Amino acid sequence: MACFGSCLTCPVAYSVLTMAAIGARRIYKKPIQKKRLVSQLIFLFITNAAFIFGVTGLIYSYFYCWEAPQATMSCPIGILEHAVLESSIFLAIYLVGTIATIGTIFGRAPCGWACPIGFLQDLVGKIKVEREIKRSRVDKRARYIKYAILAAIPFAVHYFATMAYTDICPIGGLTATLPILLFHYSSYTPTKFFLPKMILLALTIVLIINVKRGWCRYLCPVGAMLAPFNKISALQLTFNEEKCLKCMNCARVCPMKIDLPYDTKSMECIRCGMCVDECPTKALKLEFKWR
Amino acid sequence: MRKVVAIAMAFIVFSVGFHFAYEKSKLLNESRCLGCIALLPKASAFKGFWVEYPTFFHKKGSPALPDWLINESRQHVIMLFFWYKGCDPCKAQWDDMVKAGIVVGSEENGKMAANYSNVSLITIDIVNDERANLLKIFTPAKSTPSTPTTVILFTTNQTYWYAFSGKADGKAGRPSIEQLKEIIREAIEWHASARA
Repeated sequence: MACFGSCLTCPVAYSVLTMAAIGARRIYKKPIQKKRLVSQLIFLFITNAAFIFGVTGLIYSYFYCWEAPQATMSCPIGILEHAVLESSIFLAIYLVGTIATIGTIFGRAPCGWACPIGFLQDLVGKIKVEREIKRSRVDKRARYIKYAILAAIPFAVHYFATMAYTDICPIGGLTATLPILLFHYSSYTPTKFFLPKMILLALTIVLIINVKRGWCRYLCPVGAMLAPFNKISALQLTFNEEKCLKCMNCARVCPMKIDLPYDTKSMECIRCGMCVDECPTKALKLEFKWR
Repeated sequence: MRKVVAIAMAFIVFSVGFHFAYEKSKLLNESRCLGCIALLPKASAFKGFWVEYPTFFHKKGSPALPDWLINESRQHVIMLFFWYKGCDPCKAQWDDMVKAGIVVGSEENGKMAANYSNVSLITIDIVNDERANLLKIFTPAKSTPSTPTTVILFTTNQTYWYAFSGKADGKAGRPSIEQLKEIIREAIEWHASARA
């Protein structure tokens, strides 16, 4: 897919505008959320703007496929896989450095403010809110799956000597396989991994429709990379207990269902600021703390 | 202060990685591993070797065949194999060629099997080999350069070639592994008779 030279025929423009329209109508009404919508739209565009910026060697600090038709940066999981496959220590250092730099400054904020898959979940997660899972024990345990996936990737890649995760990655299916097939459906035939990829994609879509931020909570290995940095990042969610009315509005609106208002350093917090917007006394704040 | 130190340390690690691995990351990003997203490109069925770009190829933006390749292909039939580590269809294609007795060894250090000793094999790792830009020459117009791509090429009075991307599975225009053997045999005969 190339740039057609006209926004009227540009699929990227249509996807950005559609998501902007849905977003503006649905959940982005409060002050921080309006800023977040702008940020997500800008990053959705930058992520898919190779026709302007060209293909770079930078690494996304969120989950997106580098095989997407207009991907500008490299997939962090793809870099991890190549680092293992080619025993490339510098690729590993580059990946760790990228994630650590973003992580120490912003924590897991890229999940809430930049990731196009997170944006998609924000939009579709509103379709069936009433089905929000209440099984807290299952929910809490299932959150460790993403860490297990991240830990398993290097071993699987080494054992199978292929891009073991990429082969079945549902996000790759959504952002690369389907768009490429859509524009050049007659030029390609599927491999043996096509069906597993599409089944996993369908299951992922079912998950994110039924569970708010289901992908981020349970399955995203990039989220798992960024999560520990929430403990030390400069961007922090702060809580002033003296101002708190215990209305628990924050806990109600939190898309990641963390134990607000107390667990402000939770590894699951994506710094989306919904709790800050909802707090009637401004007891919760999203601010940079450099000390 | 500890946070600033942590950020500074992270940035130093990033800078080191950026300095040594940016170009490699860019090359990886530019390389299209269609197999990784479960797709294989369709190919044009073999109906004889090409001397010019067929209608579904476009020469625009493609580099010309380099002199070293033309010179070498005067001496031998050349089989070019474009691949990279982690490309699932590349591995499958290579393993099939090993099983079929076309090549021996691994992609990195592979050679033609004894039956094809008069064919010269050149394997090109598109991430680490400077000759990777050759792949553009053998990529159809509506496709992106992708691995694996296999090319049979020889030069007599002019350069003859046939290329296909993806696995030799006999589907979607791609030759089967037996057809590939037949194509190589035809190239050897043609090349030998022209030299004679």
